[in-house]
Amino acid sequence: MGDALYNKFVKRWEEVTDLPPQTVGPLTPFYKKAAIRLKVMPWPLLVIGALLLVICLYLLIGSAVTLLVSILQRGF
Amino acid sequence: MGKQLAISGLAFGQNVLGIITRPYETYRRIVHKSSLWEMVYIGTCLALYFVTAALVKTSLFRPFLMTRQFVLLGAAATITFLLAVSLFWQVGRWFGVKENFQGFVLGWSYSLIPTLFWFLMTSLLFVALPPPRTTSVLGVTFSIVYLLISVTLLFWKIILAFLSLRFGLRLDFAKIIAVCGIVLPILGAYSFGMYRLGIFRIPFI
Repeated sequence: MGDALYNKFVKRWEEVTDLPPQTVGPLTPFYKKAAIRLKVMPWPLLVIGALLLVICLYLLIGSAVTLLVSILQRGF
Repeated sequence: MGKQLAISGLAFGQNVLGIITRPYETYRRIVHKSSLWEMVYIGTCLALYFVTAALVKTSLFRPFLMTRQFVLLGAAATITFLLAVSLFWQVGRWFGVKENFQGFVLGWSYSLIPTLFWFLMTSLLFVALPPPRTTSVLGVTFSIVYLLISVTLLFWKIILAFLSLRFGLRLDFAKIIAVCGIVLPILGAYSFGMYRLGIFRIPFI
């Protein structure tokens, strides 16, 4: 029982440490912060990011977003 | 074979839920443990979408035209998938990829789920609320909501594609950016070709 659990732990440990930790130079702390939020249930962050982007787009081009959507709706 | 299909079906359902709630952990599992049988389910979902798109795109209910449209969409999506996988794999090898082709193919296949959601949503909305959108309050509100959903799905797609490259090709962040810098312009040119041929206006990648 103990051996089986230990073997399972070792297998899991090897799986998790299979890839070396990601670093992006001076931006590593920001990358880590973002990655933590994106690893589990990323939707709140994705929706907030998308909302900011769409608001910026609306402020930039105004009601022309309807034109963009009309093009996208024919895009399938 | 039946047993394998059933097991893969369960794994597919579990993985689809996983990429929604815990993408990182799920992708590690997909790349290391999943079976190629799961691609049968991904392929079936895509085929169901192509049937829907063929129905929507063909204005007249003519079996020949719908079959032609279905075959065209299916073939184009398959070629696009093979091209994307081969390009990422080949360019990844230049950057010192370690061999796990099956894991990468499976990872990339699962990254088609957000694409499928977007195309399905767009096809159904094309029937329910056909374009063009007007600049009325309702038109602008719909456009903002549509863009919000589209951008959210795009972000999700980017995360899954990133994880495919990270776990499947075992690349680090800088190498992923470099590989994308080489592959995406080629896929862009290919997508433009598809657009000119009138097959996919938005690339099915």
